[in-house]
Amino acid sequence: MTPRRPPRVALALLARFVADSEALAGDLLEEFEHGRSRSWLWVQVLAALVTRPERERGEIRPLRLVDLQPADAAERTRRFSVRFPAVEMSAVGGVGALGLAGFVGLMTGLVPAAWWLLAAAAIAGCALGVVLIVVRRRALG
Amino acid sequence: MPRELLTDFELMILLAIMRAGDEAYGVQIAREIESTGRRRVLLGAVYAALERLEGNGLVTSTVGAPTGERGGRAKRFFRVTARGVRAARNTQQALVALWRGLPQLKERRS
Repeated sequence: MTPRRPPRVALALLARFVADSEALAGDLLEEFEHGRSRSWLWVQVLAALVTRPERERGEIRPLRLVDLQPADAAERTRRFSVRFPAVEMSAVGGVGALGLAGFVGLMTGLVPAAWWLLAAAAIAGCALGVVLIVVRRRALG
Repeated sequence: MPRELLTDFELMILLAIMRAGDEAYGVQIAREIESTGRRRVLLGAVYAALERLEGNGLVTSTVGAPTGERGGRAKRFFRVTARGVRAARNTQQALVALWRGLPQLKERRS
């Protein structure tokens, strides 16, 4: 019987994207050696990747009995907005809603069938966002 | 200075470290929480919380020797500091104070 091999891609992702992950990788390998499945290890790695930005922001959260106090939420929002500045939504800088309206008109006139593709992409994006939020909430306990 | 209070997960981790004693590393801490807390935990979440607690001076960590079973990777052992013990006690007192006097939470004797 050949020995089981841990998923190398998962461990490589962990090493690449999660800082100071050596102890975590060792723990995952130890559990894998004790019979945990490859899918279990993948779930653990993906969860670690999802929780990574929280850790690498260097933020020391205030220790509170309840996490989502209004003041805390406001503070987090402020930090988030500092780190991730507002994204320019227009394809043409400075045009704003006019550019977006132009794009919509062009698309409707030239390739109306592509709206389905856009709608499907939007729905898939929303679904992915919901999944990531659920995974992250579960990962953070 | 305001008293430090912990989230439920942070409190569980501190208690699990104390229960595990000298063997308090990621896997052991997760097992303690799963067996006594009856709660499934992700190792990544445990480490995220441990880093937060260490940043706040509530736990300290030391690196052990690498082992073959872990692909040559070392274990990271954790200990609760005096400040961590104080935070756990403060949180317990806050929870007990909230608990007290609630008729819905009184034990029923059958």
